[in-house]
Amino acid sequence: MPAAMTRRGLCRVEQIMGTAITLDLADDLPAATLNELADEVFAWMREVDARFSTYRPDSEVCRFDRGEVLLSEASAELRFVLEACADLWGDTDGFFDAYATGRLDPSGFVKGWAAQVASDRLLAAGAANHCVNAGGDVRVRGLAPSGAPWRIGIRHPWDAMATCLVLTGTDLAVATSGVYERGRHVLDPRRGAPASGLRSVTVVGTDLGVADAYATAALAMGVAGLGWLDRLDGHGHAVVTDDGRQYHSADVPAGRLAPPASPLVD
Amino acid sequence: MRRALLAITGLAASTTALVVFKGSPGATQVAQNLPSAQPVNPTPQDVDPSADPPVEPVAGAPTPSVAPGTPSSPKPSKITARPAGTRTTTKAPSAPRTTTKAPQPTNRRVTGPGVDNEYGYVQVQIVVSGNRIVDAVALSLPSGGESDIHSDDVSGRYDGTGGEVVQKQSANVNTVSGATETSNSYKQSLRGAIEQAF
Repeated sequence: MPAAMTRRGLCRVEQIMGTAITLDLADDLPAATLNELADEVFAWMREVDARFSTYRPDSEVCRFDRGEVLLSEASAELRFVLEACADLWGDTDGFFDAYATGRLDPSGFVKGWAAQVASDRLLAAGAANHCVNAGGDVRVRGLAPSGAPWRIGIRHPWDAMATCLVLTGTDLAVATSGVYERGRHVLDPRRGAPASGLRSVTVVGTDLGVADAYATAALAMGVAGLGWLDRLDGHGHAVVTDDGRQYHSADVPAGRLAPPASPLVD
Repeated sequence: MRRALLAITGLAASTTALVVFKGSPGATQVAQNLPSAQPVNPTPQDVDPSADPPVEPVAGAPTPSVAPGTPSSPKPSKITARPAGTRTTTKAPSAPRTTTKAPQPTNRRVTGPGVDNEYGYVQVQIVVSGNRIVDAVALSLPSGGESDIHSDDVSGRYDGTGGEVVQKQSANVNTVSGATETSNSYKQSLRGAIEQAF
């Protein structure tokens, strides 16, 4: 009986960055190796949290924001993140703005980037089949423990227990930004007002940090973000508007599993 | 004899009813033929032409409603005992469907929480049938500025698929992508635990 209950690989959840980080290793490696890999992943995530948390006054981001750390003194990670945020500000017409709240807050990029780096390191270490989920930002590679491609559900904006779309793939970065959990917390940096029009934006690409920032930017754009996403090269998207309509790019690797049980009543 | 007469009247009534239903959208010819067919005593000669008109004008119109119209004419002998109306309603293409379908699903309306922002008040109501969302209505949307652009305008020049009402997918998934509430760690932890369990 225990044999039926075991699966290859390892799954571990830890509470870091004020959110749940789930690591799913699907490679058939010795338990000691898997535990070591998981330890390294979570140590990295804690390191990122200590350095980039805006809730910790002693974090490097907060000290830099207060002018206590000069750019020349900053860590390589912080300089990389600042540079990436500047690039993303340009790429998104200013809608991804690490200074949108009036102070430096690169969280919209950092969470996805941290998970991306963790996934890159796992791949380099020989764990080619894994899933890193950092508070809803997902990076998958290879195959799931079942031996099939990973199946990533996108959370239904009005029902936390349901998904509204399922993506399948072996090399995907999936980031979702939405207003259903924290209300209208994403500011339109141009108006300084909460963004409205879109309820949930999912961006699919290969770099989770970029996908995360793009999802946040499109949410800040409101309905206009739909057209912006549509013209975005190399990225797929799935969007749910405030009036409950769902849009997704034609090339999004979506497996729409269950067709409607009966045709809609017109 | 009386029965035959009743049968013929029934047939005439049902066909005229049919013609009224069918002919109303396009054909003026039917409207002209009808009044002449109704007042005249329903003799066998009269029935035939009144049975024909529904076919004639409909055939002239390119609508596919000819098919449901014609099979009803060979059968009417059975209908005579019943009120002719029931027969026609089941045959008519659009109206009766809604009447038969309406009572079937029990729809629930769920109103979302109102969200205030500087530009107004947003509140959305969804209509749930079983475990599917069949409609979503914005009870309140802020007006002015960019929020005036509705999603309908966007879908016109949009390459992707969409515009359909968001639906629930009950699917086996390995993980879930979604926006998370960073403050509510208990819920996050619980969610993580559920993910770990399956």
